[in-house]
Amino acid sequence: MQNIAGVVIAAAGMGTRIGLGMPKCMIEIDGKTILTRLIDALRPHVPLINIVIGYREEMIIEYCARNHRDVVLVRNEKYRSTNTAYSFSKGAEHISGKVIYLDGDLLISPKSLTDFILASCDKEILIGLTEAKSENAVFAHCQESSEKLLISGFSRIRPSRFEWANVVSGPSNLMSGATGYVFERLIERLPLEGKMLELAEVDTAADLTAARSFARLLPSGVK
Amino acid sequence: MKTAFCFDLDGTVTTTEILPCIASELGVADEIATLTRATMDGLISFEASFRLRYLILSRVNVSRIRSIVAEIPVDDAIFNFIREHKDDSFIITGNLDLWIEPICTLCGCKVFSSEGFLDEDVLKLKKIINKADAVMNIRSMGYERVVAVGDGANDVPMLSTADISLAFGGVHAPAVAAKEASDYIIHEGHALCKILRGL
Repeated sequence: MQNIAGVVIAAAGMGTRIGLGMPKCMIEIDGKTILTRLIDALRPHVPLINIVIGYREEMIIEYCARNHRDVVLVRNEKYRSTNTAYSFSKGAEHISGKVIYLDGDLLISPKSLTDFILASCDKEILIGLTEAKSENAVFAHCQESSEKLLISGFSRIRPSRFEWANVVSGPSNLMSGATGYVFERLIERLPLEGKMLELAEVDTAADLTAARSFARLLPSGVK
Repeated sequence: MKTAFCFDLDGTVTTTEILPCIASELGVADEIATLTRATMDGLISFEASFRLRYLILSRVNVSRIRSIVAEIPVDDAIFNFIREHKDDSFIITGNLDLWIEPICTLCGCKVFSSEGFLDEDVLKLKKIINKADAVMNIRSMGYERVVAVGDGANDVPMLSTADISLAFGGVHAPAVAAKEASDYIIHEGHALCKILRGL
């Protein structure tokens, strides 16, 4: 059992596919930004929240100065030429212990995030999965048993019920030196245990519409 | 790794800026505020601004200034961090040694600051600090890594010379140049100290 030392939220990307001209975590859904939803859900469980910023960093800095003064903003100046794995690694650089890594464009049911965090404490690495639904899914191939889901491979081509959710917990050096995609780094460590998360990712305009419907299904009070 | 922690004083360790505080006691708050703003924004050099501020404030008895400084509120988390790591913590401030001595004594760490002296009760300037020089000086003491925390344009030489730099916005938003020179941006003393303790 290892408590979580911190969370790293990757929010440096340009969100090119949705093309709103702002960091995706700043999108408001039902009057609340994705970032605030994530922070509110994480805050009770973790002592440290590091947000990696790059594209239009000023927007997130000012927003956090007003609304989330206790988070740490980590600058990724190379956001144009680096990907999420680099941001994860930069955000976890000075954390020692177990880290939860997640993408800043995720709308996650707080209940399922809490369950994921609790389950993370017992595992060296735990991978977040969700029902496959997105346009550019990275499918996860799993062996299902009554107690757990064991991931044996990832593929962009070969479909599966499960999709990589862009959430993973592991040691603070999990992404050190990674140059490819996050899931490619995880492939090196397979087989690994996965856990289901209820979430909606916002990559495209269609995703945003789906995310708004998803938000309406969340329990009131967390909206 | 032997690590030095360097802190700006005004608006980082203290939760109010010292000079404006003195100025308001003396009825020259507007004049000093204008200068401070222009300096924070990097419109005039720190040195030019310091000379002007010094010119305004040097008319006042040093002991009166020190008694005001002794009561300046500090950020508890940062203050405690410095007290706990006083052998490896440094205050690097453009402020004048004679004025800030009370608060530096409370912190208990080493201080690099601008220097003045009293010439028959008249305050004279001896040296205006260059914060990058102070960092180089600290490195030469055998530190393998220098961490710097600051908020103003005059902290940029310190932030860019350090190995890990943190722009602190506890009192007001850090100057744009300070943010651009930093690896981290943090708005609260407790969050800052969590990161410092993890380094």
